[in-house]
Amino acid sequence: MTSGVVVAGLGSEYRQDDGAGPAVARRIAEMVDYITDVGPMGEPLDLLGRWDEADLAIVIDSMRSGAELGAVEVFDLSEADLERDLVGTTTVSTHGIGFIGTLRLSRALDRAPSRVLLVAIEGRHFDQGMGLSEAVQNGVDQAVERIVDLLGDGRTDV
Amino acid sequence: MPGDERNDRVIEVHGLARVEGEGSLKVAISNGEVTDVALTIFEPPRFFEAMLVGRDGTEAPDITSRICGICPVAYQLTACAAIEDAYGIQPSAEVAALRRLLYCGEWIQSHALHIHLLHAPDFFGCADAVELAKLDRSAIERGLRLKRMGNQLMELVGGRAVHPVNIRVGGFYRSPQESEISGLIDPLLRARDDALATLEWVAGFDFPDVERDYRFVALRTGHNYPIESGFVATSDGLELSPRAFAERVDEQHVERSTALQARLDGEAYLTGPLARFALNKDHLPAIALEAARRGGIADGCTNPFKSIIVRAIELVFACDEALRLARAYSPPSPSAATFEPRGGTGHGVTEAPRGLLLNRYVLDPDGTILLARIMPPTSQNQLSIETDLRQVVEAGLELSADALTSRCELAVRNHDPCISCAAHFLDVEIDRR
Repeated sequence: MTSGVVVAGLGSEYRQDDGAGPAVARRIAEMVDYITDVGPMGEPLDLLGRWDEADLAIVIDSMRSGAELGAVEVFDLSEADLERDLVGTTTVSTHGIGFIGTLRLSRALDRAPSRVLLVAIEGRHFDQGMGLSEAVQNGVDQAVERIVDLLGDGRTDV
Repeated sequence: MPGDERNDRVIEVHGLARVEGEGSLKVAISNGEVTDVALTIFEPPRFFEAMLVGRDGTEAPDITSRICGICPVAYQLTACAAIEDAYGIQPSAEVAALRRLLYCGEWIQSHALHIHLLHAPDFFGCADAVELAKLDRSAIERGLRLKRMGNQLMELVGGRAVHPVNIRVGGFYRSPQESEISGLIDPLLRARDDALATLEWVAGFDFPDVERDYRFVALRTGHNYPIESGFVATSDGLELSPRAFAERVDEQHVERSTALQARLDGEAYLTGPLARFALNKDHLPAIALEAARRGGIADGCTNPFKSIIVRAIELVFACDEALRLARAYSPPSPSAATFEPRGGTGHGVTEAPRGLLLNRYVLDPDGTILLARIMPPTSQNQLSIETDLRQVVEAGLELSADALTSRCELAVRNHDPCISCAAHFLDVEIDRR
């Protein structure tokens, strides 16, 4: 799949491991040039209006789930019941409406992309400061490989 | 209510929703009296102040822009003003006008976001904007259109909507062409109509009957509604230069909060839309004054819950002002003033969407930052917000715990506190059944 694809990395590079999403998005932006919109986005709400017409949205964010540091998980949220399936998921967000809230709002307005994949990288250090943990940096490399693989062979299944 | 359990309780909200950042509030009531009110702020810009030391003064606009994803232009232009003050730079009139146009974009996107997605749900008893979208989809659609208008303006003038890249000390890296700016006129006309519709919408909300005796602090210019420059004025008649204001504001650290609490001459004060409107409504254009009349607050407003109306009036103003500036646009040439760094101290003040923002830098002779002070609106408003909370609780002791907690959260959201940018990772429980 090479058209109507949005790739967005969420997070702040000034909050250590929270910078994983933007780091992945920057790498993807350097590697592919056929994506509708790619890059770091500071605010999840900025997805509104930018992913509305997309066939596929790949959103990269850091997570805190208790998994091994740097572990990469890919969640297909296309059919997820956000109220039921994500009951244990909250967004620690700067600006009130995080990624899950943005996806819920997009659905309420019939603007959600056809497919939404969340690529989450386990982090541990979210205090102020720059630089990723070494394991998270490895997770960034893994995430880039998986996204390129997804984009390269046209698969959107995970 | 003697013996009533409502007279002895503690209201706590650990993670305030729909505010910009990470904060919490706690109110203690004993024998029907409020004994403690604490708005706790976890996330200060102190990290950035430390990081600025040792950097070149010309880097300050880009570094400070990262403090907030909602109001990066405020941080950039305030830093520019402070460094230009230190270096003795006088940007051209064309640069000043283009900066004001850019700042209008930030006001439009920030006010549209707060009114429609963060504040309005409270007035409908909705948990969030998603619930409100199910009740009034057109209002949310309108809010998003307005937000996009603000983003479009910021993208064109600033290079991109989040953390713009076209701003530099002395002016801009690139002046947009006239044809690019004239392309904004039709969208701005539509946005102004949307803003007027938003004003009609919020003016019809039900508001708690609360009046406060605020000490207002806002910029004034004497010739227009303040955004990107001015002197500091107060509702009790003070007029201060940015330097004098910085000297008279005392910021104190309180243990429960990582933000400093500000007092002017020892007293709490309020900045933001209510203060700007109180001190500058005589400089609003006719269409915004008429909007104020229709909103029922043409003579002023001291009800914090009606701040959403004032914000809507400022939304009308920002669209109208952007339209005026776009029609009169003349590209700055050169796009930035040339200058030589020099040592000294510089102050900058501007009106961020949610209130007065001050930057102060001490620079060594080659322009390296030796000391940085950033005073955002929320630290200035924190004491006034706590006083609001005390009054709200005292007036609402008969309410249930849930209702009183909701009222307290609304009282905080009235001021759109920006608790500075934090992380926003996902907290996930993975059920692998």
